[in-house]
Amino acid sequence: MKITRRQALAAGSAVLSSFILPARAQGKPIRIGSTLPLTGPLASLAIIHKVTAEICVDNLNKRGGLLGRPVEWVLRDDQSKPELTRTIYEQLITADKVDLIQSPYATASILAAMGVAQRYNKMLLHTSFGIPRLAKYDMQFQTAGSPFDPEVVWPNHIFDAAAKLPKPPKTIAIVTSKFPSVHAISVGAREVLKKRGLQEVLHLEYEFGNRDFGPIAARVKDANPDFLWGGTNGIDPVLMLEAMKKIDYRPPAQVHLFPAPGPMLKVPEAQGSLALTTFESHPPFTDDPAIAQFVKTYAERAKEAGIPYTAVDLQSAIMYAAWQVLEAAVNATKSLDDKTLAAWLRKSEVKCLFGTLKWNGPQNYVEGADLYKVKQLQQGRWLVVHPDPWAAPGAKIV
Amino acid sequence: MGGPGSEDRLTVPSATLLGQSVLSGVFIGALYGLLGLGLSLSWGMLRQVNLTHFALAFLGGYLTFQLAAVAKVDPFVSLAVTVPLFFGLGVALHGFFTRFKVTLLNTLLVTFGLTSIIEAGIQWYWTADFQRMESAYAQVRWKIGPLYLSLPDVITLGLALALCFGTWAVLRFTDLGKAIRAMTEDAPIAAAFGVDEKRLGYLVSGVAGAFAAVAGVCLALDHTLAPVQIYAWMGVVFAAVMMGGLGRPLGPLVAGIVIGVSEALTMAVTAPTWAPLVSFSLLIAILLFRPSRF
Amino acid sequence: MKAGLGIFAVALLALPYVGLPAFYESFSYLLLSAIVLATSWNILSGYSGYFSFGHGAFFGVGVYTTAGLAGKLDWPFLWTLPLAALAAAVLGVALGAVVFRVRALRGELFALLTLAITFVLATIALNTVDGGPGIQFMVDTPKLTPTASGFLYLLMLAAAALTLWIAYAIYHSRFGTGLLAIHDDEDVAEVMGVPTYRFKLAAFAISCALAGLAGGIHAVFVSYVTVAETFSIALAVNVVLMAALGGTRHWLGPAVGAVAITVLLYAFTSGQAAVLGRALTGLILIVVIVAMPEGILGQLLKRFRKKEPVRKPPVESARPAMKAKTGTILEVRGASKAFKGVQALAGVDLDVRGGEILGLVGPNGSGKSTLINVVSGHYTADSGSIRFEGAELIGVAAHRIARAGIARTYQIPRPFPQLTVLQNIALPPMFGQVAMDRAAAEREAWRWLEFTGLEAKAHRFPPDLNLHERKFLELARALASRPKLLFLDEVLSGLTPVEMDGALRLIRAIREQGATIVFVEHVMRAVMELTDRIVVLTYGKAIAAGQPAEVMRHPDVVSAYLGTAHV
Repeated sequence: MKITRRQALAAGSAVLSSFILPARAQGKPIRIGSTLPLTGPLASLAIIHKVTAEICVDNLNKRGGLLGRPVEWVLRDDQSKPELTRTIYEQLITADKVDLIQSPYATASILAAMGVAQRYNKMLLHTSFGIPRLAKYDMQFQTAGSPFDPEVVWPNHIFDAAAKLPKPPKTIAIVTSKFPSVHAISVGAREVLKKRGLQEVLHLEYEFGNRDFGPIAARVKDANPDFLWGGTNGIDPVLMLEAMKKIDYRPPAQVHLFPAPGPMLKVPEAQGSLALTTFESHPPFTDDPAIAQFVKTYAERAKEAGIPYTAVDLQSAIMYAAWQVLEAAVNATKSLDDKTLAAWLRKSEVKCLFGTLKWNGPQNYVEGADLYKVKQLQQGRWLVVHPDPWAAPGAKIV
Repeated sequence: MGGPGSEDRLTVPSATLLGQSVLSGVFIGALYGLLGLGLSLSWGMLRQVNLTHFALAFLGGYLTFQLAAVAKVDPFVSLAVTVPLFFGLGVALHGFFTRFKVTLLNTLLVTFGLTSIIEAGIQWYWTADFQRMESAYAQVRWKIGPLYLSLPDVITLGLALALCFGTWAVLRFTDLGKAIRAMTEDAPIAAAFGVDEKRLGYLVSGVAGAFAAVAGVCLALDHTLAPVQIYAWMGVVFAAVMMGGLGRPLGPLVAGIVIGVSEALTMAVTAPTWAPLVSFSLLIAILLFRPSRF
Repeated sequence: MKAGLGIFAVALLALPYVGLPAFYESFSYLLLSAIVLATSWNILSGYSGYFSFGHGAFFGVGVYTTAGLAGKLDWPFLWTLPLAALAAAVLGVALGAVVFRVRALRGELFALLTLAITFVLATIALNTVDGGPGIQFMVDTPKLTPTASGFLYLLMLAAAALTLWIAYAIYHSRFGTGLLAIHDDEDVAEVMGVPTYRFKLAAFAISCALAGLAGGIHAVFVSYVTVAETFSIALAVNVVLMAALGGTRHWLGPAVGAVAITVLLYAFTSGQAAVLGRALTGLILIVVIVAMPEGILGQLLKRFRKKEPVRKPPVESARPAMKAKTGTILEVRGASKAFKGVQALAGVDLDVRGGEILGLVGPNGSGKSTLINVVSGHYTADSGSIRFEGAELIGVAAHRIARAGIARTYQIPRPFPQLTVLQNIALPPMFGQVAMDRAAAEREAWRWLEFTGLEAKAHRFPPDLNLHERKFLELARALASRPKLLFLDEVLSGLTPVEMDGALRLIRAIREQGATIVFVEHVMRAVMELTDRIVVLTYGKAIAAGQPAEVMRHPDVVSAYLGTAHV
């Protein structure tokens, strides 16, 4: 990622243009605007979304664009701040007058964008919204395959998968951060495990951003559960595993909801960990040649961008799906009108790279059903192990 | 949504759990102290609030990571590169502050700007994604009675103790140290007695930079690197530095361990989510009731 | 000027109605909220120098008050705003009431305390009102404007106008002058009559209330609040950056910095240049601060001020001299004070009679300065009694003693370095017995500038003065409060014989005006020439009192001065 003189000039003029009313988009391209947290705390995930979206837009244009017009993606940096996300979406809609908008990243920013979309009657697709009940706008559509009630559905996925373990767990230790979305799921897990007749032997909540996992690890070791429920995301799973390693402890089985995939691979103790996903770069997902091609292109572009983990997984897939849904809706309706598109989406379904998305339930979600899978880290690779139709060839939960 | 989070009631922990938690707190506290040492020196002695210290420590971590990943250089051998380099950066920074006569408050601003630049540089070269160094050190651990010690932790503690006590001894027992203390107390009078204030300033700033390099190795050894982590450590390390007394080499270490252990014990006996409340309330209480200690 | 401001105000109010894209309202909102936060921070931290790293905490209290009440209990959100401000202010006062009593908690320890409070409050909010998932709430904003952003813009505009007005009014009032003096030298300010504790508390409360108000509005702007994004150290650091970049010594400085930084950050939101933009932001910050070390506004004003000539208002004719009371006005009995075992005062007895010049002499370390410090309230005596005009002084706050009519100078002059000579001298009349407003106090100050011959230096800063001028400044400052009783602590030391003659003339003139003077001096020629009576202190005790010539022949005095064994 070298910055050339031309890029620097382009950057300079982009800076200038952010203060000048741009000319009305009379030209041919269809302009689609969105923000991503390219700097700030969420930047590690934003870069995955950015690379993915760039591939999607390139592919779209190679296929002749939308409605015969080329597509231009207007991306801005919300610096991981919801208030900036709100202002930039207002800029995109009211000043830049983009034709359509696309998803920002993370719950708080999506809610900020959703408010703007609602005021200007724009359709909002979103990739990474953690708490579905908070999405109260009738023209918002998730493209992650989440259910309306992830706090019920996801724990069931995980306990279903755990039941297939060679030694099915009976006692569970729940350790969760207070990061809003994973916390909500962990709270749900407590109810689910009760219904399934499992026993909760430990329940700990810690502040997101915690640095010292030593005492938590020691308490898990003391509780000696069959199964560790890690209500964790980002780098926390790695920190927790390292802390447990230091006291020579390894839970018999464990799940970490949304780990950063790369660093986990480098921790030997993470072998066998379960996690949630929508997509992994192996068959049957890659049976579709177009998807196989995407996986290949992504690996190249990610490497070029310096991303350490170059396989397509959850994060990349939900962004890819967002563009698939947009393309499907525009092509089906032959329209760029937000209301027309939204009306179509509500009564249709779209096949995306990890299954068929539907929005016909409460708040445009589906209750009790989703496209999430459970993956397991096996011999340095993440493989989907549950449910069976999506499992990697020959892969079994171990 | 709130959910019943109340079952993290007070539990009576086993002695092993307590012991292991105290150890854990001591080790994390040692890292606070190690990160805080350079900060405390340049703040206390040069009247510079150097936010860049955190950025340098992480840059040191990244360089260690890079040398290990590309050239298979042992993390401690890479100190041969990072220590002189960061000493030079420290000297250059002090030169900049002296040249432009930057005031205490403005050092905060300038180093904040510099931190943004270094952060952007790191993000540009290594991306915002997490990077993690693999090293043989992380695999070594010992069992003493029921308690476990891991090598990276012991190294961190050892380095923190060595640097803090080393600095303390130099300041206390050598002529150089006396000159530095004299300069800190009253620069004009020290100058009148022949203390070369300028050179000492460069020395202190350079040493602070070198300490950032050492802290960087510990970060690389035992933590995951991401550009945004630069800011994650600021609050608690600042607290340790101020609580420990500016310019006192043992202060940040002691204060860091107090914070680390109090948080660890809270996590061991009650809901871990309350840990910051306990450690920072303790800090406030100490400030209010024994401010003269500082 | 006034018309220009009026047009500007109308333009700001009209913004939501002229049909501009809503983005401009939203962006202006961001500018205004930054202005409120930076300016409110400055009211405590810039003016009084109590550097807070906890502004994010008080902002957060506002955010969560509104989010909790409007989001969870469905209160109408406009009603929650006063409560958001109040909650933050109450917290600030509670904290300040404890912290500001501890003399050691200044500088970085105060910063540490406010930093720690941020962590504590974040943890409490996370585990109580929030619980983990954040709070989402949609409120229906009144349909007063075409767009919802327009309404929030107007609300924040009102908050910003209020904040700036408060900052302006404080800056130009006694309160503001007092805060600036606290910034420069809190102990001297207290002795000059500034009620430092109350002022700090009030400034903290106002600062917190405004931050809380901004937080309450902001909760609606983002409509979903989480602890991690609310109680952030980043916010506190940003606020400090803004204020310092604009200039902390002026009421408008932080607003200038807030606009600069917000525009700068927004300028680099283009997706292709985000990382480069971050580096550039850092670079610009460094360049600006090196080029303008006193902040953007501070530097501009400095350039502007240099061209301003010394303007002297017509000085009123001297006031009629007060009649000094006769009889004993200060009665010290058995006053003792020990420091870490060293008995600085060991039961001093002393009378000062109205209208006299009393010389207080004694070897170094005999307790002269400690006596002044105890009478002026800087230290509290351990035991004994000190009565001024019949009222007990021990245990009374220093600023009250100043108001009762006691003033002092410092042996090593301690002017407020960042106030001009004029402002230095105008301070005591504002807080002395009469408590004048600022304009009257400045008129009064010009009289004393004239009296001490410092007129030409009125707009200079104390570090620009030479020692002799600084001594006279010290004197003028003590006189300006029109004290009944004035302690002069070695005002003559370091002066040349010619300068000394001038000073002696001045001191006599002071007495003519009706003040009683206690004159501490080593220069015996001056003591013998000037004083009506002298008291000799050794080892913290008064060993002799009476006519100068007589006392100096007293055997104890002779032995004390010649260093013979003293029993």
